Amino acid sequence: MKAMTFLQFFNKKRYGIISYNELRNKRTKILYFSLLAFALIVVFISAVPIIWILLSSMKDIKELFEVPPTIIPRTFHPEKIVEVWNKMNFFTYYKNSFIMVGGSIVCAVIFNGILAYVLSILKPKGTKFVYMLVLWSLMIPNIISLVPIFKNIVSLKMLNSFIPLCFSFGANAFFVVLYKSFFDAIPVSLIEAAKMDGCSNLRIFFQIVFPLSQPINIVIAIFAFNAAWSDFLLSFLVLKRDEMFTVMVKLYTISQTWGFSKDLQLMGVFFSIIPPIIIFLIFQKYIIQGIAFSGIKG
Amino acid sequence: MKKHLSAWILMIPTLLLFGFYIWQPLFYSIYLSVSETKGYEVIGFAGFKNYIEVLNDPVFLKALFNSFAYTLWSLVIGFLVPIILAIVINELVHLSSLIRISIYLPNIVPMIATILIWKFILDPGAGGLLNSLLMGLGMGKVGWLQQEAIIIPVIISTLTWKAAGATTLIYLARLKGINQELYEAAEIDGTNIFQRLRYITIPQIYNLGRILLILQILAVFQILIEPWLYTGGGPNNASVSLMLLNWNYAFRDFQAGKAASISVIVNIILIVLTLIYLTFNKEQDE
Repeated sequence: MKAMTFLQFFNKKRYGIISYNELRNKRTKILYFSLLAFALIVVFISAVPIIWILLSSMKDIKELFEVPPTIIPRTFHPEKIVEVWNKMNFFTYYKNSFIMVGGSIVCAVIFNGILAYVLSILKPKGTKFVYMLVLWSLMIPNIISLVPIFKNIVSLKMLNSFIPLCFSFGANAFFVVLYKSFFDAIPVSLIEAAKMDGCSNLRIFFQIVFPLSQPINIVIAIFAFNAAWSDFLLSFLVLKRDEMFTVMVKLYTISQTWGFSKDLQLMGVFFSIIPPIIIFLIFQKYIIQGIAFSGIKG
Repeated sequence: MKKHLSAWILMIPTLLLFGFYIWQPLFYSIYLSVSETKGYEVIGFAGFKNYIEVLNDPVFLKALFNSFAYTLWSLVIGFLVPIILAIVINELVHLSSLIRISIYLPNIVPMIATILIWKFILDPGAGGLLNSLLMGLGMGKVGWLQQEAIIIPVIISTLTWKAAGATTLIYLARLKGINQELYEAAEIDGTNIFQRLRYITIPQIYNLGRILLILQILAVFQILIEPWLYTGGGPNNASVSLMLLNWNYAFRDFQAGKAASISVIVNIILIVLTLIYLTFNKEQDE
């Protein structure tokens, strides 16, 4: 009976190469279930390292240093989370990371959004040239010029500040392209009507274009969240004092310092993974749509 | 006229940021590369001295070779994985959202955390997860991150683990966009599954594959953090990449001029790779 309902799923098959009709055939069924098995193996490979690390971080010290390591943990001490959190003062690094990430999201949405709005809707003279420069920047990876960027930041006396990190997200050619392709689809009549009413360009952006673009705003915000939360190179160069470290920079120092034992490193990994996982689980629908959207446009 | 002006005023803040983070640094790199530098300060004109010194650095050739090796290995190991996965997942009606979510999961793990996770798994001693599994199966342990011959493919495998899921979702979106009537018509014409895969699916994702191919080549060629944190470029410089060499010159040795000359070389290689790729594509289209 249970098997029946399981197979009834095939009724939903309205896409792909293998058709519903063909699935009635025994050989095709075998092929289908081998594909399913293959996909589940991939799921296993993707998820197990992460789950294993999260569980290992909560083993007790004795088990952690056991050789060979236990694959399914015997001991489970979630109270270690609180212990290490307090001992390492992770609150500070979380606070720093969230300030940096928040600022980065705001910069990513506002600056790239406004540039795309001008290029897509206002189209002043020189639009083509500016857009070409933006597309050209898409090809230039900025890690290539880290020395001059670092020099620029030093000359503005902005070491140990989150400002240069946040603003770096305001110059993202990829975000501009995503925004522009979304704005291109906004009906011109809406903008014209607002202009008739005498709205200024900036007001049209904030009161009409921006609210109409919630799907793409969410996508950009999530991309910026992940990129800012994981940002390492520039943060590492700019943030020199421990009380300014973000979670990533702290994780790096934990991994490089001999004094910190394996269990602290594992807990550091745990702390660095949890926020993006939570965000991902909440917004997974948007994230998966956003990737599809960026892929189609890119 | 006034209309143009007010629009330009809106753009200026963003353009300043682009200038500050992208355009000025690019040109300044070129300037630095032909300058005599002390730390990060320019103290004179150097001509091609930085370039000559960098080219004569024995590590440079190794790094150049390795950067290409990373790129080639990433094509061998990583290019087909997302295509195959997307085609498979697109056929499944069971558990499809579980599958989608799990394969994307590695992508949201920050890079530093990914590296630490794999360092625990690939630990060369008997305490490493992979080695203890191998020993459990009666095989010997492997120094995953310590052998010159396998270090690049090992690093690329961890990179593929992280990146393949997101790419798979891009291909999946393209597969969803294929007109289902194509398959139905082909089925009525009596084609089998593999013929439809070959003559409908593959041609439909071909162009997307070409774009993702060049993006992957450009991205992997600049690999930096992975060799730095997995091995520090070792063993015996077997995993050092051009960008890691650039980073070492810039932030370990504080020789901005030499670092900049590597930046310029990398930029030129990337441009040449793109041009070769574009001409190759053009020939194919004609």
